Amino acid sequence: MAALASAGAVALVTAAIAVARPYVPVLSLGVLYVFAVLPVAVAWGLAYAIPVSVASMLAFNFFFLPPTHTFALRDNENWFALAVYLVTAVVVSELAARARRRAVEAEQREREAALLAQASDALLRGTELAEELERLRAPLADVLGVLSARVELGPSHEHGYPLRVGTRGIGAVVVPDGREPDSAVRDRLFPALAALVAVAVDRDELQREALEAETLRRSDAAKTALLRAVSHDLRSPLTAIDAAASGLQSETLRLRDDDRRALLATIRVESARLARLVENLLDLSRLQAGAAQPRPELWPPEELIAQALDELAEANTRVVLELDDGVLPVRVDAAQIERVLVNLIENALKYSPPDAPVRVAVEGGDGEVRLHVIDGGPGIAPAERDRVFEPFHRAAGTGTRGAGLGLAIARGFAQANGGRVWAEPAERGAHLVVALPAEPRA
Amino acid sequence: MSRPRILVVDDEPQILRALETNLRGAGYEVDTAATAEDALSTAAARRPEAVILDLLLPDGRGTDVCRELRTWSSVPVIVLSAVGEESEKVAALDAGADDYVTKPFGMDELLARLRAATRRGTPSGEPVLDVGEIRVGGRPVQLTPHEFDMLRLFAQNEGKLLTHRTILREVWGPAYQVESHYLHVYVSQLRRKLEPEPARPRYLLTEPGAGYRLVNPASRP
Repeated sequence: MAALASAGAVALVTAAIAVARPYVPVLSLGVLYVFAVLPVAVAWGLAYAIPVSVASMLAFNFFFLPPTHTFALRDNENWFALAVYLVTAVVVSELAARARRRAVEAEQREREAALLAQASDALLRGTELAEELERLRAPLADVLGVLSARVELGPSHEHGYPLRVGTRGIGAVVVPDGREPDSAVRDRLFPALAALVAVAVDRDELQREALEAETLRRSDAAKTALLRAVSHDLRSPLTAIDAAASGLQSETLRLRDDDRRALLATIRVESARLARLVENLLDLSRLQAGAAQPRPELWPPEELIAQALDELAEANTRVVLELDDGVLPVRVDAAQIERVLVNLIENALKYSPPDAPVRVAVEGGDGEVRLHVIDGGPGIAPAERDRVFEPFHRAAGTGTRGAGLGLAIARGFAQANGGRVWAEPAERGAHLVVALPAEPRA
Repeated sequence: MSRPRILVVDDEPQILRALETNLRGAGYEVDTAATAEDALSTAAARRPEAVILDLLLPDGRGTDVCRELRTWSSVPVIVLSAVGEESEKVAALDAGADDYVTKPFGMDELLARLRAATRRGTPSGEPVLDVGEIRVGGRPVQLTPHEFDMLRLFAQNEGKLLTHRTILREVWGPAYQVESHYLHVYVSQLRRKLEPEPARPRYLLTEPGAGYRLVNPASRP
């Protein structure tokens, strides 16, 4: 292409001179060949400009200098013309090549700057560092003039070009195709890239540390809550038992018979409470470990309620029942649903005034059976309605009674049986609902 | 002589019931309260001779009850603390509580503390210190003035918890109330002179984080 154009240029100027020859002294027309050399030098450089210079000189000699149509050089004008063409060719080629180099270089630097801008944007955005480095691969290869390149992190690398900030190794640019990127580009680009990656690595590290610290803090807080709750709930019955038992044992105390009976009753009641706490803790760990496999059987809801009331023993006299005969049976593990109901009713009894009734109502519809437990206590604040089901959660301002396990266990067992437990918004008192899937009528 | 009156404050009904029964059996009149508010009003109305106070109450902390009580009463206060509540226990002692028992506790321990707390002044009977020459187990010991002052303070308060603050105030004066590290050194020196086996003290006991107590091993449960 370039050769063809070069020959064309020479031919064109030769033709022009032939046209002008009748009007202008032929010797002064030789200078026109500069217009053939010039564009060739600008466009394709010295490699084409020099042959064009020589071809121009030969064409002038052959076509226009007497004796025409021979290459005989009779006088010095020919040599002079050739020298002019060559000097023009060299100077112009060099100038043009330099301009071209500058343009290429400017373009390269622009791409480098764009790459760094993209890198800083990507790396400092705060998303996943490895992902962002992956995204930089294509522009990096482009800037380096290689087929593919990637940034690897780590302090030391056996292969690739190291990225360093001061003496600290950040990583390396690895070029798998084995080509060597221009050293000037490397010198310009890599320190800036290294600094950026270093900042991103540091930020990533800080973020991870902050996250770890937060995770630790949370699990620490949970452990502290657990420890406080369990230690209080284990110790209170133990304290009562120890006080009662040591009173019974003491030879210095003068106790009446009914005093002794009261102390024995305290020991029994508190032992049962301890046993229940231990049972609750075991239930919770079984639920959390996913080991609470229900053994479902078909049960009428009122039968489940009856079992729960039986478990509650004398406390159940405060429970007022509102049953519905038309409710469908449910297919659940009776022992687990009994735990759900006992925990909900116990909770209601605990948080309502000593002689206030607790309502338990049954209602069916929408393919499920809903059991309502409604008390006359202080109720549950809207913000607490979901949190009361978290293990070891205690509603603010309710003192220290109870480990906060009952509702968490109730929800766990209900869910294990395909049901749900939630706190219904209520005007006054707490209103908790257990919903269990109803068995369709056969 | 009328029976001494005790106020027991705890929010656990069963603990309250057991303590009430036992204290009555030990010859006390017993009032009970389950909340901080109730505790203060009962203390004001019934003027008990000692208060047994749980540190965690549904409507506040035992420490605050103690501080409030101290603004108008010097009634001895024994707090019921638990492992894990050490800082709360120290705060209660700083707020004016006289002693503590750690849950769970036996009745004999509580009754011993109660007797020590309600005993005023030097106990009757033989003088504990024969001023002039001090003998421990028949063996004379040399005491520095501070050691002597400490020993006298302990002897006058046999069985009672003496907080770091109290000992510093009584022996060194009000300016030294916070420098408890002095105290550990002086007490260990005193112990070396009094105890047959200073590393296993029998008389001068350390109550971790709280203070010291001089006990008569013969009268311990």
